[in-house]
Amino acid sequence: MRFCIDLHNHSCLSPCGSDVMLPSILAMEASDKGIDILALTDHNCARNLGPFAEACEIIGITGVFGIEVNTVEEIHVLALFETLSQALEFGKWVESILPKIKNSPRLFGKQYVCDVAGNYIEEVDIFLYGQANVSFDNLIELIIGQGGLAIPAHIDRPSNSVTANLGFLPRLPYSAVESIIVPPIVETYDYTVIQGSDAHYMEHIGRRRCYIEAQTGNFAGLKEAFLKNNISFMN
Amino acid sequence: MISIEQLFSHLGYKKFSEGDLQKTITTGYTSDLLSDVMGNADEGSVLITIQAHKNTIAVASLVGMPAIILCNGRTPTEDMIGAAKEEGIAILATSESQFTASYKVAKLLALV
Repeated sequence: MRFCIDLHNHSCLSPCGSDVMLPSILAMEASDKGIDILALTDHNCARNLGPFAEACEIIGITGVFGIEVNTVEEIHVLALFETLSQALEFGKWVESILPKIKNSPRLFGKQYVCDVAGNYIEEVDIFLYGQANVSFDNLIELIIGQGGLAIPAHIDRPSNSVTANLGFLPRLPYSAVESIIVPPIVETYDYTVIQGSDAHYMEHIGRRRCYIEAQTGNFAGLKEAFLKNNISFMN
Repeated sequence: MISIEQLFSHLGYKKFSEGDLQKTITTGYTSDLLSDVMGNADEGSVLITIQAHKNTIAVASLVGMPAIILCNGRTPTEDMIGAAKEEGIAILATSESQFTASYKVAKLLALV
């Protein structure tokens, strides 16, 4: 069966994410756009995944629980997990290795944790866009070791991408690589390529969704499709 | 210590944002990792980098850096210029490398 996926999205928790990008709004909009499998991937933090899980459950789409980790090389990597508890555990670890820099909401934006109804319940003090003290190679290994999906983000972007920051794509066991443009304009060898919306604002939701061919519309289905490179794109 | 105006006139690099001409430069910091800049650069330094995007302005503003020199022919994005004007940060751009620009700034500041 064919399922529509979008595995790169931010909420009001990411400093650069719009304050109205509530996890529940993201899930609703994505569902309206026909997305079957949706991930929330805030920068270095898992604290909005709880309400996201609740919203996906209510709306009836498959939630994938992620974090967009910023490595010591300032490379962005999507770490995706099947269960909320795995992702929360991983998120705690990522926060523990962030530099202890206080966020400046004026310069970077606010970092809101909210509930499923959209009430702001906490503002995260530590700057979430900082670089976590883990190398790109080690991070990929860690995510895969925990049964997650490790996906270098926007590998064709001139900043915060593996291609821009290292100059090449090391041969590591990525689950897939995410490219803004398909077919990619950078070397991807035989890795599975996916697209993701990297939505920071409402109007971004679903802008780069793609499709998998798999037996089930869940995490196992994602793994299966990535392994077999059963991906198709919007255009 | 030099003024922003001296920085413009002595280096002859292309000007993309005027900055706050009242401000002075005391030293320089050369880095392409913004997290490193955030953690280690001193207030009052000119940032020498190839990171020609808006986040660089936020970091420079946080640290209190009055000017940025973009090297290797990189030019600032429109939103970077907009943010620089808002924050009163000067942007200069050159085809020279970070090494050459750093040397020139250090010389101008009589640090070498």
